[in-house]
Amino acid sequence: MTARVRALASIAIAVSLSFSGCQAVKQGAADLIASTGKVSQKDAQAIVQTAEVLRSTFADITEEEEYYIGRATAALILAKYKPYRNAAVNAYVNTMGTAVSYYSDRPEVYAGYHFLVLDTDEVNAMAAPGGFIFVTKGLVKRCGDEEALAAILAHEIGHVAARHGLQSIKKSRLIDAFKVIGNEASQRLDSEELTKITGIFEGVLGDVVETLVERGYDRKFEYEADKLGLTFAVRTGYAPGGLAEFLKSMEENRPSGPASGWFKTHPSPADRLARVKTETAALGAAPAKLDVRTARFAQAVKNLR
Amino acid sequence: MKKPARLTLIFAAVLAVFVFLLAETVVVKIKTTSLRRDPKFTAPIVAAIKAGDALEKLEARDGWVKVKTKAGVVGWLHSTAVEAKKLDLLAMDKTMKTQASAGEVALAAKGFNKQVEDKYRAGNAAADFAAVDALEKAKPTPAEVEAFMKEGKLGEFGDSR
Repeated sequence: MTARVRALASIAIAVSLSFSGCQAVKQGAADLIASTGKVSQKDAQAIVQTAEVLRSTFADITEEEEYYIGRATAALILAKYKPYRNAAVNAYVNTMGTAVSYYSDRPEVYAGYHFLVLDTDEVNAMAAPGGFIFVTKGLVKRCGDEEALAAILAHEIGHVAARHGLQSIKKSRLIDAFKVIGNEASQRLDSEELTKITGIFEGVLGDVVETLVERGYDRKFEYEADKLGLTFAVRTGYAPGGLAEFLKSMEENRPSGPASGWFKTHPSPADRLARVKTETAALGAAPAKLDVRTARFAQAVKNLR
Repeated sequence: MKKPARLTLIFAAVLAVFVFLLAETVVVKIKTTSLRRDPKFTAPIVAAIKAGDALEKLEARDGWVKVKTKAGVVGWLHSTAVEAKKLDLLAMDKTMKTQASAGEVALAAKGFNKQVEDKYRAGNAAADFAAVDALEKAKPTPAEVEAFMKEGKLGEFGDSR
């Protein structure tokens, strides 16, 4: 192969790699282009940097990065709410959630799904990115049976599967982060870069935690999670009425005064109920509620204080 | 070199790129998971795999992929555990391969990672990472999940399946 042909082929390969969305080859690609001797290292970097503009949105966050965002989000939620100290209830919820995750659209996340009951009488459920899912003791008490609790867990898995948490991150933060990460040829972050990226990380966590705990998701994400959750729960073998029963109970027990907690972070139960009914009807044949599940639910929650 | 010969070479190079792109290698993108005998989570585990493992894709069915490990073990894993790897063509040149690997290391070492978490933790004592570590450890075993599903007639253990 002549040098020129080799150069052309190398550039074609390197640029196609960069545009393939694969993040692992940027420096290799730059070196590869430069190694042909036809393009300077600086220009080679520029070619790759141009391609790298593609890594700019939540969709470009890697599984591992999502996991670290999720861990820190979970750590902040657990600074606000303590885990409920009841190993049996936690094991029950964790096992049920894991079973439902098997039948979701995203059963594999970086370090697996984790489910935990929070020690508060507030009624709420939250899904941090990467599969850290929390339900409050107050919510478990509000569930009438296993189908209802499974429906809630399936809804939260829906948020994780659709990466809703990551979509609450301000776009500008990700652009800044990818700029620092994609910068230069160094193998690791130098101390200035580390400080910069940690600052951005804090901002990212602020966006996610505020959305999960204070502000709630955009309505369209809640409706999407309802739909996904219904699908996942029914695929797992649960009767489809779980979420509807729960929403009805929430509507009937709506506290007076300004909305707070679950009522603040979620669209109105009546609104969701109407949609869920339509979606349930569209399912056709679905599994039936089983006494064996209702009985073990009653057993698992009987000591809830 | 005469023009036709050069064109042939360019054509051959482009063709080579496509052939290598078609060679189906997938790479594990999650921390650890299991390769299973059949395409379902309750199937027996045949091998443990981890992030970065390159696997040869043999078949795809209902969201699962059948793969072969470097050691020759064949098994199934869910498609959400892997991503398509188009890096395969780099294997055509040893030098390129080494450079790409270095690039992979560089990027893995530069995202939101353990290093960033440690730095964040140092400045945010209130964030309860110990509770998160405990939560990660409390994962149910595959046998426990299977027993739960069996008892509750869920998944493949349901009446209607």
